[in-house]
Amino acid sequence: MKNLAQPRPQLKGQRDLEPVFVKTVLAVLFALGLLMIFAGVRGISAFNASGYDAEAGFSYVYQMKGELDKHYQNDLAPVLDSLEAQEQAAVSAKLDEMLLAYWTDTRGDEAAARAELDAFRASLPQSGQEACTLKLFDAAFAVDGPKVSSKLKKQLAALDAGERENMRQALLLALVDESAPLNEVAAAAVEDTEGVERERMLLQLFLISADESSVSIPTELANNTKKAVRKDPARLDAYKAAVSGSVSWVSQFVVSHSRTVIMLGVLLALDIVLLAFLIGADHSWHFDIKWLIILLIIDFMLLFQMLPLIYLVVKAFFPEGGFTLETFTRLYSYPMNWSALKNTLIAAAATMVLGTVLAFPLAWLVGRTNLYGKKFFRSLFVLTYMVPPYVGAMAWLRLLNPNVGDMNVFLRTLFGMAADATGPINIYSLGGLIWVLTTFYYPYAFITISRAMEKMDPTLEEASRVSGASPLKTLFTITLPMMTPSLIAGALLVFVCAASCYGIPSIIGAPGKVHTVTTRIIEYYGLGTQGLNDATGMAVFLMIIAILVLYISDFVMAKRQYITVSGKSTRPNIVDLRKWRIPLTVLVSLFAVIVILVPFATILTTSFKVDVGKSLTDPGNFTFGQWTLIFSRSETLACLKNSLIYGAVTATVGIVIACVMSYLLQRTRIRGRKLPDFMITLGSGTPSVVIALGLIMTMKGDFGVNIYNTAYIMIVAYLIKYLMMGMRTVVSAMSQIHVSLEECSQISGATWTRTMFKITGPLIFPSIAAGWFLIFIPSFYELSMTTLLYSNTTKTIGFQLYEYWTFTSQPQACAMAFGILLIVVALNFVLNRLTKGEFSI
Amino acid sequence: MASVVIEHVTKAFGNSVVLDDFDAVFENGEFITLLGPSGCGKTTMLRIIAGFEKPTKGSVKFDDKVVSSDKVFLPPEKRDIGMVFQSYAVWPHMTVADNVAYPLTIKKVPKATIKEKVDRVLKMVHLSQYADRIPSQLSGGQQQRVALARALVAEPALLLLDEPLSNLDAKLRESMRFEIKEIQKECGITVVYVTHDQTEAMAMSDRIVVINRGVIQQIGAPSDIYNTPVNPFVADFVGKIEFLSGEVKAGCIELDGCGQRLPYEGAEKGRVIVGVRPEQVKFASGDEGVLKGAVKSHFYLGDVNDCRIDLGAGTELRVIADPIESMGVTSGKQVSLNVRSFLVYPEQEPGQDFRKILT
Repeated sequence: MKNLAQPRPQLKGQRDLEPVFVKTVLAVLFALGLLMIFAGVRGISAFNASGYDAEAGFSYVYQMKGELDKHYQNDLAPVLDSLEAQEQAAVSAKLDEMLLAYWTDTRGDEAAARAELDAFRASLPQSGQEACTLKLFDAAFAVDGPKVSSKLKKQLAALDAGERENMRQALLLALVDESAPLNEVAAAAVEDTEGVERERMLLQLFLISADESSVSIPTELANNTKKAVRKDPARLDAYKAAVSGSVSWVSQFVVSHSRTVIMLGVLLALDIVLLAFLIGADHSWHFDIKWLIILLIIDFMLLFQMLPLIYLVVKAFFPEGGFTLETFTRLYSYPMNWSALKNTLIAAAATMVLGTVLAFPLAWLVGRTNLYGKKFFRSLFVLTYMVPPYVGAMAWLRLLNPNVGDMNVFLRTLFGMAADATGPINIYSLGGLIWVLTTFYYPYAFITISRAMEKMDPTLEEASRVSGASPLKTLFTITLPMMTPSLIAGALLVFVCAASCYGIPSIIGAPGKVHTVTTRIIEYYGLGTQGLNDATGMAVFLMIIAILVLYISDFVMAKRQYITVSGKSTRPNIVDLRKWRIPLTVLVSLFAVIVILVPFATILTTSFKVDVGKSLTDPGNFTFGQWTLIFSRSETLACLKNSLIYGAVTATVGIVIACVMSYLLQRTRIRGRKLPDFMITLGSGTPSVVIALGLIMTMKGDFGVNIYNTAYIMIVAYLIKYLMMGMRTVVSAMSQIHVSLEECSQISGATWTRTMFKITGPLIFPSIAAGWFLIFIPSFYELSMTTLLYSNTTKTIGFQLYEYWTFTSQPQACAMAFGILLIVVALNFVLNRLTKGEFSI
Repeated sequence: MASVVIEHVTKAFGNSVVLDDFDAVFENGEFITLLGPSGCGKTTMLRIIAGFEKPTKGSVKFDDKVVSSDKVFLPPEKRDIGMVFQSYAVWPHMTVADNVAYPLTIKKVPKATIKEKVDRVLKMVHLSQYADRIPSQLSGGQQQRVALARALVAEPALLLLDEPLSNLDAKLRESMRFEIKEIQKECGITVVYVTHDQTEAMAMSDRIVVINRGVIQQIGAPSDIYNTPVNPFVADFVGKIEFLSGEVKAGCIELDGCGQRLPYEGAEKGRVIVGVRPEQVKFASGDEGVLKGAVKSHFYLGDVNDCRIDLGAGTELRVIADPIESMGVTSGKQVSLNVRSFLVYPEQEPGQDFRKILT
């Protein structure tokens, strides 16, 4: 057994370092993390102690330090130096006296003030003491010194350089000698003042009159400092710090970004702990560069996903710091919330049942029988998957409005009801909501079930046939039971999607007073701080549902995941429908017409109407106006641009992460690779509204990251929600490429990089493209998260459409909706071409 | 028990004809093997017998009952057959006993009878102790035996086996071969067995149907197929053979190239193909052999010595010799050979390349 004794072969990307070295580096980095947390906490407490309002205050102090030095050097010292020695001494003494008075004004007690001033002076270097007084006044008077009227400032600015210099000398002398001559401007400024007031005014004039700008330090900086440091004693501390020069950029950074520093410190420390577990797990202490990538992804998910979710839960139970169920008791004592809860559960459950009951026979008919036109139907059903939910809702609203809905009018004529009656179907009801949710979400179940059916070994069914079972009997005793895990997974997917959908209930439910948890969350969100707490309470409920379902579906799949892929690929077993072939084809066509064709046609026709209430063929009711309008409005175009950019950025970042994760999951056995995978799965299972709410509450700067109201917060939200779609696509593609293909390339002498570009890349390119589009398309038309996260400059096309529908004009909204549909279909076509027909969505 | 009568069956998928005028009768209780290279149409024929495919032309009868013709088509469930698939096709959501009981449950056989029959058939395939397991807990060979038990439990008239052993490893394959044969003898059932493995076919069959490109080449007992193959394809597909070309002269065949002669008294005239099975060639002592040549290479394999002899001018002959007899053989040594028997076929086209017969 000689071989066993040989040293472990060195694998690519792994290097064995000295354990001691690795441990030391880890320890140092961990200490650094702790230090950062400590420093950050110190920074926060420093502010709290000195009464600074915002962390930014410290940054202003740091800027002020520079300004003061410059101002003193260029504008103040030369004038002071130009005085006679005797005069200089007198002015200095006077300034000291004024400083003590100012100090006493701020701190109160004169003795204490004097002691503090002396101590402060003593802390300065010998050479700096002289300048200190002037600089301190410079800072103090810039922030809240004697007011100088704008008229006076204009007069000062009008002086030429010589006059100005003379005036400034005179001003200094006037401090020590009241009778000293002043020029006209200065004399007018101090005309009505006397005593301390006059002295301070003289000094202020001296400080600000160095050039035409008539300010000592930049006004904006002075104003910011004033805002950031509201209390006088604290301000004096700020001035002291600025004058003494005790602010280094490190402390300036740590203090002014203390929350960011704490966050970075926490992440670093966590990373190191995790890394130590990973590295130390087999006692070999070898270091693998891949861990850094894993840690980076984990950090991203921790910060932007775990933190917001955890914060939401904490906030719901500890709204004011202490544990209380007050939020919940308040929320659920309100009947409207109860009905929202009930509606959500009923609608989601009904959609799940209806959707699955529709999807299974459709999947079977399209995949396993000789139905006419099954390929066409298949792409048609799958296409619905890519349609924004709110577009469907808009269409059904137009069709089933109880008064003027086209389908209602049609049904009234059909049943001979009075033309001006209402009904028979009212879309503004729970039933209406369920119907629209079903028509939109059944494709989710359809796709899951179809895939499973395709993967099922057809001989399993054939074996049943030769055992004497009819096709129908086989369907129920073999096919259906074998499909159970996929059926459950598909059904649960529909449940979660329906429960966390916002677009449809916001359009259908709101006018009909059918509230759901999502619409309540967004209503509460608009109601200030208390509302935010309440929104959190509702969100936690939604989150619990989602996590439960995710857990159950994982459990079911893990327990009953049958391996049914056959070794030899045979064509699927096609059941001959015989005499049922035509009736069933008609039935499926009818379904397609009602559920897909009619709604889209309605959207299209409405977009050409002037008056939505009238028929398109009524005279003067046909117009291209809506289309020209939406294409010419700069706001719409700006929104479209935003959507395209956010979608593209999200998809590109997402697909890079997806590729890295696929590689880690499929090609390495590295420890810890499942952790980011788990987080990404969790993210995609979390309802959109919950993700957005969590991000809003945590990304305002309280946790060191402030991306509120920016495009970043939207991109981050889209990434968390849609990353998994892209990742799964690439992972499954990679799992189908046997590793030997790559090994063969390496044996042929290609480097790892070359292998990736020449072998793996081209083979999985279609899936990468598909993954990119799978992230891009939902990000492109996203509504639920955008509603919470948009700002005036970051509106997207989805939100714009929603605004048009609700506030402006339905025909215009329809034109936009159809435009979005066209873009999605066009993208689908591009994808199909790009992947040579292998993928379309 | 039933005989299978296949009359002029043709099957085409679109423009490609996979079976062309297939005409055969499988007798009651016979073990028939459909043998041929991949894509020859043997599995399609089996699926036509099972009722998973409809022939484009022709008919299939079980005894006198037409199961498939222009007018009649019986679906698989009405044909009273058992079938074992290459992928086992054991249902993963049922226990072994439930899997096996399924055909009886479908027939609404009384529960007690089901239990009794399932027990008996599981015993037959040596799986009695696994009745309550689920298939994923069984090995490949055990799963295949579940499939076999399921196919046999309803005592069908006909058992179809579609490459049932190709997913098993070599040792298991060999033992399963005998088990299947034993069970067939025990039940006396008619078996149609599909394989591309000629050893399997030789070992198990009463008769073999050799198929190539959708056309039956030869039907016969294993020994007929081996000893008197009707054409070079069958000769080449079953067993090892070397082809040489030559011309019939008076009382002999003169081989091309080397010009050596083989004594021949047969009926063929003119240009011929000579097929020589390597085990029919023997080293002769001294100069007594009919052919002479130099040893080009030899591989000692333990049970045999596999040699290649250069007959001159690039003509080669393979000899599988007894290792003791051929002890002194070394490369370059001049040897003389006797040929115990050989096959002669007329050359179909001038200059036919025998190495390409299979493609």
